[in-house]
Amino acid sequence: MRRFVTALLLLAIAAVPAVAKEKVYGKGVAEGDVTSISAVLANPDQFVGKTLNIEGTVVGVCAHRGCWLSLASDVEGETLRVAVEDGVIVFPKEIVGEKVRATGVFKANRVEDTSKKCDATRAGEPEVQCKTVYELAATGAVCNWK
Amino acid sequence: MNGFRKVCRWLHRELGFFAVGLTLVYAVSGIAVNHVHHWDPSHAAYVQNSRIEPTGDGETEAVAPLVLERLALLEPVKETWRADRDLLQVFVQDGTIDVNLVTGEVVRRGNVKRPLLYDFNFMHLNKGKAPWTGIADAYAAVLIILAVTGIFLVKGRKGLVGRGGVLMLLGIVLPVVYAVLVRRG
Repeated sequence: MRRFVTALLLLAIAAVPAVAKEKVYGKGVAEGDVTSISAVLANPDQFVGKTLNIEGTVVGVCAHRGCWLSLASDVEGETLRVAVEDGVIVFPKEIVGEKVRATGVFKANRVEDTSKKCDATRAGEPEVQCKTVYELAATGAVCNWK
Repeated sequence: MNGFRKVCRWLHRELGFFAVGLTLVYAVSGIAVNHVHHWDPSHAAYVQNSRIEPTGDGETEAVAPLVLERLALLEPVKETWRADRDLLQVFVQDGTIDVNLVTGEVVRRGNVKRPLLYDFNFMHLNKGKAPWTGIADAYAAVLIILAVTGIFLVKGRKGLVGRGGVLMLLGIVLPVVYAVLVRRG
């Protein structure tokens, strides 16, 4: 009996890591096709304001508050930032390397090189270098933990 | 009144002992997460530098297996990613390993859970949700009972009508003044 219980326990322990745990963040993901990150970044302005489902491996995460993720594109070296409402969704640090699918509105933000938001009055001034940073303002995400 | 005070004393004593553990969890974690802009209260970061024989910056399909072989990791690898022409990132459970394919330089950045504090913060921030929500609600109710019964424990000059009352008033005024000032600011 004791051997049987031990064997059962060992089997259960061995089985645990094999089961991928699906974790839903925020409102989860909407049904529908996934748009590849490379397709979005190839023509980003076409997607601004649209609700997208995107998927990729997490290659970066906000270290302090877990309020954004960086998802790898299918094109080497290319990433897309997925931002979430601070405190509403908190991504853990361990999520780096996991595959995540997220749903949200694709946005274009004008920022200074210092990452401050460029306001309209300053954008035209020659001394302020503004650039467009694209991100998915996500309402939810799903991660299949390995 | 003496009977009521007796009940208060009994409740305060029994629930007071019961609340010690949870109070310490919430208080210690409270201080820790209050300073989240200064440090990560749940994880300690580490950086390890090492070197492997460079693989060269060839195609990812060719260099990634070589890098993994040369790193000889004992832990499972979650994923690899070619972040740049000369940079391959290897993701493991507690962090990221940056491998410079040209120089062979390896920088491992990771985070380990702080003993006790990680669990304290996990409970305080209710990351586990469902079961802990009930426990936290019950604990909050216990704190309310402790606060209310505490008012009636001592009678006389040190009680509600004396010093105790003044201290209680101060404790009420403090958050009220703060709330008013912050709202105005």
